[in-house]
Amino acid sequence: MIRHSFFVGAMMATGLAFADASWVPDIEAWNSPQPARPDSVIFRNATIWTGTDEGVIENADLVIRQGRISALGTDLNVPRGALEIDASGMHLTPGIIDAHSHAAIIGGVNEASRISTADVRIRDVIDSESINIYRQLAGGVTTINLLHGSANAIGGQMSVIKMRWGASPAELVFDAAPEGIKFALGENPKQSNWRAEQPRYPQTRHGVEQVIREKFQQAEDYRRAFDDMPRGRAARDRVPPRPNHELQAIAEILAGGRDIHSHAYRADEMLALMRVAEQFGFVIKTFQHVLEGYKIAPQMAAHGAGGSTFIDWWAFKYEAIDGIGYNPALMHQAGVLTGLHSDNPELARRMNLEAAKAVRYGQVDPHDALKMITAWPADQLGIGERTGRLATGMDADVVLWTGHPLSVQSRVEQTWVDGRRYFDRDADQRMRERLAAERAELIALVLADDDNNGNDNNQDSPEPTSPERRRVHSFAAHLTGYRASELDHDEYCIFHDH
Amino acid sequence: MTTEFIAKTASALFLSALLTVPASAELTALIGATVHPVSQAPIENGIVLIENGRIQAVGENLEIPVQARRIELDGLHLYPGFVHPGTQLGLTEISSVAGTVDTSEMGNINAAVRAEVAVNHDSELLPTTIAGGVLSAHIVPGGGLIRGHSAMMRLDGWSWEDMVLAAPVAMHLAFPPGAVEDDENEDLKLIEQTLDQARHWHQANGAAAAGTGSRPPRNDQLEALGPLLTGAVALVIHANRHDVMTAALDWAQGQGFERLVLSANADVQYIAERLAADDIPVILRGIYTLPTRRWEAYDMAFVAPARLHQAGVRFAISDSGGGMEVANARNLPFQAGSAIAHGLPAEAALKSVTLWPAQILGLGEELGSIEVGKRASLFAATGDPLEPMSRIERVWIDGAEYDLGRDRGRRLYERYRDRNAAVQETNH
Repeated sequence: MIRHSFFVGAMMATGLAFADASWVPDIEAWNSPQPARPDSVIFRNATIWTGTDEGVIENADLVIRQGRISALGTDLNVPRGALEIDASGMHLTPGIIDAHSHAAIIGGVNEASRISTADVRIRDVIDSESINIYRQLAGGVTTINLLHGSANAIGGQMSVIKMRWGASPAELVFDAAPEGIKFALGENPKQSNWRAEQPRYPQTRHGVEQVIREKFQQAEDYRRAFDDMPRGRAARDRVPPRPNHELQAIAEILAGGRDIHSHAYRADEMLALMRVAEQFGFVIKTFQHVLEGYKIAPQMAAHGAGGSTFIDWWAFKYEAIDGIGYNPALMHQAGVLTGLHSDNPELARRMNLEAAKAVRYGQVDPHDALKMITAWPADQLGIGERTGRLATGMDADVVLWTGHPLSVQSRVEQTWVDGRRYFDRDADQRMRERLAAERAELIALVLADDDNNGNDNNQDSPEPTSPERRRVHSFAAHLTGYRASELDHDEYCIFHDH
Repeated sequence: MTTEFIAKTASALFLSALLTVPASAELTALIGATVHPVSQAPIENGIVLIENGRIQAVGENLEIPVQARRIELDGLHLYPGFVHPGTQLGLTEISSVAGTVDTSEMGNINAAVRAEVAVNHDSELLPTTIAGGVLSAHIVPGGGLIRGHSAMMRLDGWSWEDMVLAAPVAMHLAFPPGAVEDDENEDLKLIEQTLDQARHWHQANGAAAAGTGSRPPRNDQLEALGPLLTGAVALVIHANRHDVMTAALDWAQGQGFERLVLSANADVQYIAERLAADDIPVILRGIYTLPTRRWEAYDMAFVAPARLHQAGVRFAISDSGGGMEVANARNLPFQAGSAIAHGLPAEAALKSVTLWPAQILGLGEELGSIEVGKRASLFAATGDPLEPMSRIERVWIDGAEYDLGRDRGRRLYERYRDRNAAVQETNH
C-alpha cells in the first residue's frame, strides 16, 4: 500500500520516464520506472576502452544518440541539448557481457529429468523481478546469457537478455541474439556426484558422447522426413511427420540455426564433442567452463570453438582438478575466441577483477583482458555487431568507472543500456534514503497498530511453516536477498555447479 | 650389530634434526626492492637481512655483511606474507570426493578435535595458495556446536608438525541461531551443560592434584575444554546474523569468557559499536557475498570493512573458509583490495590481511609485518599485491626461498604453453 502511494502515484504524475535528477530505481522491478532515454548524451574527457582496434583512447568523448553510439574521439562537438557528463579522471568501457548466467532464472535452471531436454525453453522462465539484475547492473553487467543447467547432455534452449531493470520478461530478451542451446559433458550429465533415484543412461563419458551422436542421427532422420515431404498437391495424400520439439531443436543445430554452448571440463570430452560435430558438419560455438581448454587449445582453434571460462573454479570436483588461472591466456595465445563468465550471481558483480586476473596469470594485455568480458563474449553469443564494443553504431551499453576498469580500487559509477542510465550511484543513494524512510514509516505504523490493539504480540501467531519449506529456506539462508519463489531454489544448483 | 645400530640411529637423528632446522641458516640480503614493512612507511630501495629464518634488519643504507648472499629485487615490492584468519586448507582437497574431505566431524561436541593433525602437508591446494602470497593460515575445524581447537600453521612444511606455528590457538563454537528467541534452546543447553561438566571436571582434577580429592575418570572432551576455561586460548564464536551475533556475545560474556573473537559475515557491521566498546575482534568471513536482505544496498558486504574500521573495531578479512573458497584462499588479498574501493583506507586494507590477523590470533610477534625478529615469511610482487593485476614473483617462508614451480597451475601452464607453441610452430 505504502509503496503505491509513494511511487506509483508519483510515476503516474510525471509520465512514463523520469528526468535524470529525479529518477530513482526500486528494489522491485515492477516498481522501478524505466530511466529516460535522452535524445543525446556526451561523456567528456574519459579514458575510453573501445574493445576494438582503436585501443584505449585518453581524454576522449563519446556521444550517444537515440540509444546508439554516434561518435567517439577527441574534442567532439556537443550535440544541441545533449546531456553532458563530465568523465574527467574516469574510464568508459563497453557493458560487461556474461556468457554464462542463471541469475534471472533461479528456481528454473534445470529440467533434470531426461538425458535430452532440447525442447525446454529458458525464455519461458525468465524472472524479470530477480534482484540479481539490479545488483549486476551495479557491477557494470549489461547483457547476460541465461543458460539451462548441466544435468543433461542436451539441455534447454538459452536466452540472451539485456539488463533492462523494470522491463517485463519479454522486453528483457535481446532480439539480436541468435538461437542457442546448452549441452553438458562430464560428471553432471553422467550423474557422478549424487545418487539419482532412478539411474539413467549414460553413466560414463563415452556414454555421453554416444547419446549425443545418436540424437543427431535421429534429428537428421527427422529433418529428412520433412525434407522428403512432397510439396503442393502431392502432399495431400501423405501424413506429415509428427512434430517433435526436441528433435526440431536439435535439427536446427544441424541446419546452422542454433549454436551449441557446451558445459565441459576435461580435454577428452571436449575433443570428442568437436569430432561428433565435425561428423555432422557443424561447429561447436563455445565450450563453457572449459577448464582444460588450454590442453587442446590448438584443436579448439582449428575447429573454431570459443572458450568461455573461469579463473578460479577448480579442485571442487575431480574433473576440475586441472583448472588453472592461466587458461584464458593460453587459449587466447592459441587463437581461441576467449571469454570469462560468472555462472554465479555474486561473481557476476565483479567480472572486471576476473579480467584483471587474466593479466595476472599469463600476462594477457589489459585491453585484451577487458575484451574477454565484453567484445569476445559478445562475439561468442553472436551479438558482437550490436554490443560489447564502443564504436559508432553500436548499442549504447556503456559503463563509467571511477578509475582503471581492471583495478580493485575502482567501482562502477554508472551503467547504461540502450542509452538509458539503469544504474547510477547517485540514484542508488536516493533509493537507499527512500527505502530507509519507508522502513521507518512502516515500523511507526506497526507500533501504532500495536498500541491500538493493546500491544498484544501473541494475537497473531505467524502462519505455520511446513517442515519441508523451512528446510529449504534454512538451506538457502545465505540467499535471503531473494523472494520466496526464488528461495525454493533448485537444490540441484546449490549442490552441483551448473 | 649394536654399534652399527647406534650409528644408524645417530645419523637418523642427526638427519631429522637437520630437517627441522630452517634451510636458511645462511645470511641473506634482499636488495633493491621497495620494502613495505606494514608496521611502518614503505622504504624505497630498501634492504632486508635474513638469518636463521628470521628478519635480522630492515632499512635503507644498511651495511651488508660480506658473507651474505645477495638477492637483487630491483623494481619489485617486498611484502610480508598474507595471514589467512580462518580456513580449512589442508583439511580438504576435492570437496565432491568424500575421501579427501576432513572438514567437519559429526556430532555436536567435538572439543577434543585438533585441526592440525589432519592437515595434509602435501595438499595440491597449498602451493597454489602460497603462490598467491598467503603464507600462513589459521586452520579451523568445522563440525558440530563445539568444534574443537584450531591451529596457526605456515603453509609449507615436511609434515603437519613442521607446519604448526601455534596450537591450540582457539576453541571454536557455532552459536545456535535458534537460541536467539528461545530460552529453552536445546543446542545451547547442551553447550552450557558441557561447559558446566568441564568446569566440574577440572575442579575435581585440580583437587586430585592437590591431594584433596579423588581423580575423576578421564574424559577427552571435558579435558580439552581446559585451555578455554583457564583463558589459555580464545573462544572463536561463529555466527551469521546480527541478532545471533548479539545473543552469542551476551551469552559468552555471561559465561565469563574474556578472550572472544567473533567470526562472522558482513552482517557484523550492524553491531560494530558494541564490538568496539567491548573490544571484541572480528574475523570477517568475506566481502564477496551478496546482501543478505533484498532491501539492503548492493554494496552492503563491500562496505563492511570500512564500517568496522570507522567504528574502531579490530578486524581481519577472511573468506568463507570452506567449500570452494578453500581452493581459492589465494584470493584473500583481493577482498581487502575491494574494500578500498568501498571506503576502507588502503593502509588498513593491507593490515587487515597481514598484521591484524596475526595480532588477533596471538602471533603478532611472529608474523604480519617485516620487522626485526619476526619470521622471514615474505614475498616480492610486481606491484600492489591487493591488485589482481600484480604478480607475485618470489616467495620466502621462514627465510627459505619457496619453489613456485610447485604450484600446480604454474606447472601445467609452463608445460602446455611450450607444447602449444610447438604445435603452432609446426603448423606454420
